[in-house]
Amino acid sequence: MRIPALVAAAAILLTACGTTENPATTTSASAGGPVTVTDARGKNVELEAPARKVVALEWGEAEIVTSLGVMPVGVADTAGYKTWNAAAPLDASVKDIGKRSEPSVDAIVALDPDVVVIAEERDSTLVPQLEKYVPVVVTKSSDASRNLDRLREDVRMIAKAVGKSAEGDKLLSDMDAKLAEGKKALEGKGVAGTPFFMADGWLEGSTVSIRPFGKGSLVSDIAEQVGLKNAWTGQVDPQWGLGQTDVEGLSVLTDPKTVLFYSASEDDVFTTGLAQNPVWQRLPFVASKKVTKFAGGTWTFGGPKSVASIADQVVRAVTA
Amino acid sequence: MLRTAAVTAGIVVAIAALSAVHLTQGTSDTGVLDVLQALIGQGDAQTLAVLEGSRVPRLLTALLLGVAIGVAGAGMQSVARNPLASPDTLAVNAGAHLAVVVVAAFGLTLPTLPAGVLAFAGGLAAATVVLGLSGGGSTSPRLVLVGSAVALALQSLTILFLLMFEQETTGLFAWGSGSLTVSDLDATARMTPVVVVAVAALVAMGRSLDILALGDDNASLLGLKVRRTRVGAVLLTVALTAAAVTVAGPVGFVGLAAPVVTRLLVPRVGAHRVLLPLSGLVGVLVVLGADVLLRAVFGAAKALPVPTGVPTTIIGAALLVWLARRGRSSGGSARQAPAGRVGVAGTRGRVVAVGVALAVLVVAAPVVGLLLGDRVVLLGDLANWLSGRTGTALTFVLDQRLPRVLAALAAGAALAVSGCGIQSVSRNPLAEPGLLGITAGAGLGAIAMITLVPLAGAWHIAGAAGAGAVVAFALVYGLAWRSGLDPDRLVVIGIALWSAGMALITLLIVVSDPWNTAKALTWMSGSTYGRTPDQVLPVALALAVVVPLLWWRHRELDLHSLDEDTPRVLGVRVERSRLAVLAGSGVLAATAVAAIGVVAFVGLVAPHLARSLVGGRNARVLPVAAAVGAVLVSAADTLGRTVIAPAQIPAGLVIALVGTPYFVTVLWRTREARTG
Repeated sequence: MRIPALVAAAAILLTACGTTENPATTTSASAGGPVTVTDARGKNVELEAPARKVVALEWGEAEIVTSLGVMPVGVADTAGYKTWNAAAPLDASVKDIGKRSEPSVDAIVALDPDVVVIAEERDSTLVPQLEKYVPVVVTKSSDASRNLDRLREDVRMIAKAVGKSAEGDKLLSDMDAKLAEGKKALEGKGVAGTPFFMADGWLEGSTVSIRPFGKGSLVSDIAEQVGLKNAWTGQVDPQWGLGQTDVEGLSVLTDPKTVLFYSASEDDVFTTGLAQNPVWQRLPFVASKKVTKFAGGTWTFGGPKSVASIADQVVRAVTA
Repeated sequence: MLRTAAVTAGIVVAIAALSAVHLTQGTSDTGVLDVLQALIGQGDAQTLAVLEGSRVPRLLTALLLGVAIGVAGAGMQSVARNPLASPDTLAVNAGAHLAVVVVAAFGLTLPTLPAGVLAFAGGLAAATVVLGLSGGGSTSPRLVLVGSAVALALQSLTILFLLMFEQETTGLFAWGSGSLTVSDLDATARMTPVVVVAVAALVAMGRSLDILALGDDNASLLGLKVRRTRVGAVLLTVALTAAAVTVAGPVGFVGLAAPVVTRLLVPRVGAHRVLLPLSGLVGVLVVLGADVLLRAVFGAAKALPVPTGVPTTIIGAALLVWLARRGRSSGGSARQAPAGRVGVAGTRGRVVAVGVALAVLVVAAPVVGLLLGDRVVLLGDLANWLSGRTGTALTFVLDQRLPRVLAALAAGAALAVSGCGIQSVSRNPLAEPGLLGITAGAGLGAIAMITLVPLAGAWHIAGAAGAGAVVAFALVYGLAWRSGLDPDRLVVIGIALWSAGMALITLLIVVSDPWNTAKALTWMSGSTYGRTPDQVLPVALALAVVVPLLWWRHRELDLHSLDEDTPRVLGVRVERSRLAVLAGSGVLAATAVAAIGVVAFVGLVAPHLARSLVGGRNARVLPVAAAVGAVLVSAADTLGRTVIAPAQIPAGLVIALVGTPYFVTVLWRTREARTG
């Protein structure tokens, strides 16, 4: 047993000589002046030039970068992004750098990025490590106390880092225009103030878990911005604005005008797991058939394009 | 007879009362009065809907689960002739759960019945392995050790699937500990006939099981087809467990608790025709009681994310401890040395050869670890890096890879030496820091620290892990102490605390950060991801201090592994020395956990490998085991970072995948040693 191991070790040692790079490469000169952005940590991140090669570790940030007209060189879990976020498709050239929970540092470095955009809290140990090599810009990602303003700040910051501030402002003004347009449409139909409930969920066997998007979640802020009113008053977490409940917990929703929006890019638990449930059947939006499933690939934690798409879907459903 | 009738009546009344309370608990504002009105036929439509759509399904599911697992537990205890046997300790739950998770991970949503068949297959496979390896029916706690170790391996696999398919399996994390939040009676209704038939069949077999209890030889003499009876009973109990897992996930330790409580209530219940149904009723009592308690304490809305399996596991763990303390000592002085086969005397030449080979491997493993990964580098690069001539990218890759490689090496060595110490003084070849509850305690401490102080530094986390390990260890040791320390008792109590610790970790995660299960799972399964040099420091320090100390006392370790009396006769202060060794082992395990998370099997496998290489003397075993452990974890880490790059598999899961087959062989050998 030990002999083969020795042989294998020796073989590795023999074949592994040589190098994969020429020692002491110099960095290429880049166009544009230096940029300084203040990120969510309050840290001033200095870039020698507006970043052109960007790695994004969360899908919302990847969407923002793409929407600004800069195709990222690397994104975590690109296959998942394709399923869950259709607002700003990635090119096939974008490299997968591993799972969102444990992105591969090797893969990030191999792409030789100008900047890495990372969401606060996802792997806090990663930020100081990466920063030794590459400038890291940390976004707030979600803040249930001021999610739309937070998004604007994240977008402006990323836009500045990639030298696309004008595009960033345009992206935001388009988003605001979409929201204002939606608000007008709702008022025009006289349906402003309609109560809504939003959720996603999972099904395992007969066990259903429902995750309401409470007040302060990004999707809820969008709907409130166009003039609707979140009917869910249960407890939510301070970052994402998400709650937890079961079917029975939904019975607090009694206003007959309430509409339901739900998100399900894979299994649709609301129509398969709950359809026959008597509590479900008595819910106002089920009785009145005011149930809207967000289109596949509607990422509820996304950027301005996701916001615009969600606003569109919400307005269309309520004014229909 | 009178007592049995009275107890049965009491249980039925208690179940009725609990059911009534259960019906009034829920997340809607349908309260006691509404339910009362509905019960006398005057409820409003909303109350009826809530009852029909949520509360009655939950209640009926709890009833079905209780009966299924309670009867299954009683049946397994009879077949194994062991009061510690249960769906949990025989790994049946874990096997069934793994089967279900694998299907979910591949995005398949199976109808209830095929899912149940799959769970049955998984559970049966696990039970076969465990019963086969432990030589069928035996009264020794060995069955529990084997079962728990196999369960550990299966759970590692389950976690691997949860990690790899994060988005597909988000809801499965809590479900993995048993949840009663059902939306309809579909699964429950489909599984009810299975449970009814299996329970009826088992009860019908009651006479045969009574005879089986007399021992195989006596039973054969009395004309019982022993083998057929045993196989039949195992199949039925596994079917019951699989049905329960299909409906609600693995609800922990009910199968252990129910028959135990039954025997407490009716001490002389001998006939299985009484014992089995009664255990089913008690099972209902445990499940319902846990669920009612959970929601009474947290409130229905807050209790929602907490799996019902968490309280049942904690209740069950307490019972397991109590049982182990109560059980008779298994003759501590007559135990054999802690190895399956220490046949190797360890000639000088062999020792030298092993030493050289290991020295090469200890150097080669981290070097290969530095070379391989998502980006493969070559030796020339390493040389450049060492002399500071690499480009920024490569410098960075190697700079961040180094602490990971060192963390794996150090933690591997620490766990291995810790395992050596624990195996020696407990004289139990299956003991290790994981199975003694020490790593779970350390993990609980560390996760609590991360939860409460998100920005806690490496030393804080190591400190919290150490504190958790000390508490767990003090509990295990204190509880196992009863006018002396019985090695078997120590391990059974350790397993109880391990389960309780894991349940508490689950509780902490689902309550504090329900949307970040991947991070927690990674942590619970041993990962070197994102390690920094200062995180490696505590474990390196512990190694530098504890290992020489242990090695210095290697003769004492040798004596401990002989038997209880020899060291005493030779003037060793047994208790003090044992406590010192265990404390040192605990420190090593805790710092290892703080460095790379909870890794099982290394502390178990490395000492065995070491003994099979150089014989049983600790002067040799300790350094060899340390080297083996370091190489094992380092290799596992390298593999996990490389095979599916850019995604990664935590080192602890690779160890479980690779370690399980080895562990199974060790078990097989020790089985031979015992019977032959």
